[in-house]
Amino acid sequence: MTKKHMGQKLKNRLSNGFIYAILIVVSVIWLFPFFCLVCESFRCESSHQVGYILPRQWGFDNYINLFTKTAFLTWYKNTFIIAVFVSVIQTLMVLTMSYTLSRLRFKGRKGLMNIMLVLGMFPGFITMIVLYKILSGMGLTGANSVPGLILVYTASSAMGYYVSKGFFDTVSRSLDEAARIDGATRFQVLTKIIMPLSKPIIIYTILTAFMGPWGDFMFAKYIAHNTTSGMNVAVGLQNLISTPSSLTANYTMFCAGGVLVAVPITILFMSLQRYYVEGVTGGAVKG
Amino acid sequence: MARVKLTNVKKIYDNKVVAVQDFNLDIADKEFVVFVGPSGCGKSTTLRMVAGLEEISEGTIEIDDVVVNDLQPKDRDISMVFQNYALYPHLTVFENIAFPLRLRKVPQEEVFEKVAEAAEILGITEYLNRKPRALSGGQRQRVAIGRAMVRHPKVFLMDEPLSNLDAKLRNQMRAEIILLRKRIDTTFIYVTHDQTEAMTLGDRIVIMKDGYIMQVGTPDEVFDHPDNLFVAEFIGAPKMNTFKADLVFEDGEYYVKAFGAKILVDGEKGEQLKKQQTKPQEIILGVRPEHIVLAKENEGIKCTVRVNEMMGSEIHLHTVTDDETNLIVRVPTIGLTQKQRNDLQAGHVFNITFQGKVMHLFDVETENNLLK
Repeated sequence: MTKKHMGQKLKNRLSNGFIYAILIVVSVIWLFPFFCLVCESFRCESSHQVGYILPRQWGFDNYINLFTKTAFLTWYKNTFIIAVFVSVIQTLMVLTMSYTLSRLRFKGRKGLMNIMLVLGMFPGFITMIVLYKILSGMGLTGANSVPGLILVYTASSAMGYYVSKGFFDTVSRSLDEAARIDGATRFQVLTKIIMPLSKPIIIYTILTAFMGPWGDFMFAKYIAHNTTSGMNVAVGLQNLISTPSSLTANYTMFCAGGVLVAVPITILFMSLQRYYVEGVTGGAVKG
Repeated sequence: MARVKLTNVKKIYDNKVVAVQDFNLDIADKEFVVFVGPSGCGKSTTLRMVAGLEEISEGTIEIDDVVVNDLQPKDRDISMVFQNYALYPHLTVFENIAFPLRLRKVPQEEVFEKVAEAAEILGITEYLNRKPRALSGGQRQRVAIGRAMVRHPKVFLMDEPLSNLDAKLRNQMRAEIILLRKRIDTTFIYVTHDQTEAMTLGDRIVIMKDGYIMQVGTPDEVFDHPDNLFVAEFIGAPKMNTFKADLVFEDGEYYVKAFGAKILVDGEKGEQLKKQQTKPQEIILGVRPEHIVLAKENEGIKCTVRVNEMMGSEIHLHTVTDDETNLIVRVPTIGLTQKQRNDLQAGHVFNITFQGKVMHLFDVETENNLLK
């Protein structure tokens, strides 16, 4: 091996080492708060905030209290039901909308897309009061806020078509045409051709649709309106520490709730992440 | 078993661009018709209207006497091969070919049988478990053909299927399409911009330009009797030489005067001119490069070689006459000595001539053939 090669190798190693060092620092910064949260959740010696990280006494007390002394299970169930319904409905709506806008040409298509773009620029919460009035009139607030929230989260979901339409646009139209000639209906083209080719974008849509309601606080708080049985986890947990005295009494329990909230999202991400990077479009048409 | 009839078919796009003008054609059962023309002539649009992929602005398309204007592609019993193959990338070759059968809920055993049969004919049996991305261009196009033939459609549509292949593979696939046609024996509509494909494959050729049909005829007809200057120049390679000349009538015979030479229009063409009593006039004269022959010195028309294209079996000489008219002359190499070959280089001056019976006479104004 020549000197030049050795030098190149050393250079590569150094630059790799530098990159890894940066990545390690970044991940420590990211993971540190979560590490603290987990530690707090297992702390048994006191329930208020303290000036150290590692608990002096470890145990599951906070978790047990969370399930026995609060309505955490109800909040968790509410959130889960909302998130599952929303992710299914929203994904279906986004995909069908994206396919329609990507493949069909109809009067007012451009106008519709522009209207949705402009509407999307307004923050969702400006309609909060009106929505509350409507839902209240329908009896979908307070204890009934689960169906109410599903309605709110899914109502405008078709407007989130941009990313998947962009992806569908990259799938050659001649595949649609070939499938239609082979005997497929428009719906079959979507389900048998476009969707299998768009796995990454479908996973992305499902994940974002699930995470939105899973972590929402503002709408959920407003619509549940202090009714414990209608709260989602975010609202319920915030409720646990809403006053200075409850913060002192429930802080470690609040942290245990925080850990439990992160579990499903983490599982979902880990199980679906491989589809993110999977590309399957090679060889469809002459490149 | 299908007859395809297009009556007054027109395609106007939203931006008022007219792609196809008043297209009338009756395609017989089991006929192989080729639409040919330069890009933008409307040939693919017409094919796509037959397929149901484009709306028909005016007129009707019938398949077996049923108007299909408003039928979905899947209800027309047609299949189509695309220029870019359009294979489903997430499915194996087997599933690609089986796709139309699966949609029709054909029993599993029959699917296996039919896919195996198609793969056998096309020589792709060993690739059935591969994904399209693992195939070469030629293999992909075979899979696309397999997918189209597997359900025995009434009409087989092909949209420039060989355009993406290299020249050698194109020749091979062309021959295979001829064999395939004999095996599946159905009605074919084939679109191409390559006149060689049109001539070799078609029972009839439809030559199009700017949305209009310029001529419909058998390969012989369009080659020997082009209706107009466009067809004359489009069909045949290298393209026909065309130049201004004078048609004169002297002593009961028609002559063409060009480059100082006077050539008798004899044979059928002369007879027909007499029958039509064509008046002497300025004309556009067309002579195919292969019909020009070398003349003796001081006879015929004097030409100077500009470019010599050695094709192997023949030489294409791009020449120029004394009055700066470009003429292409095709000289078979088989009869030439090495010295003669060497002589035919740029700057070489020689004399050419052609016979009256190979001349094509076109009207200067309308560019239509003077012989009706």
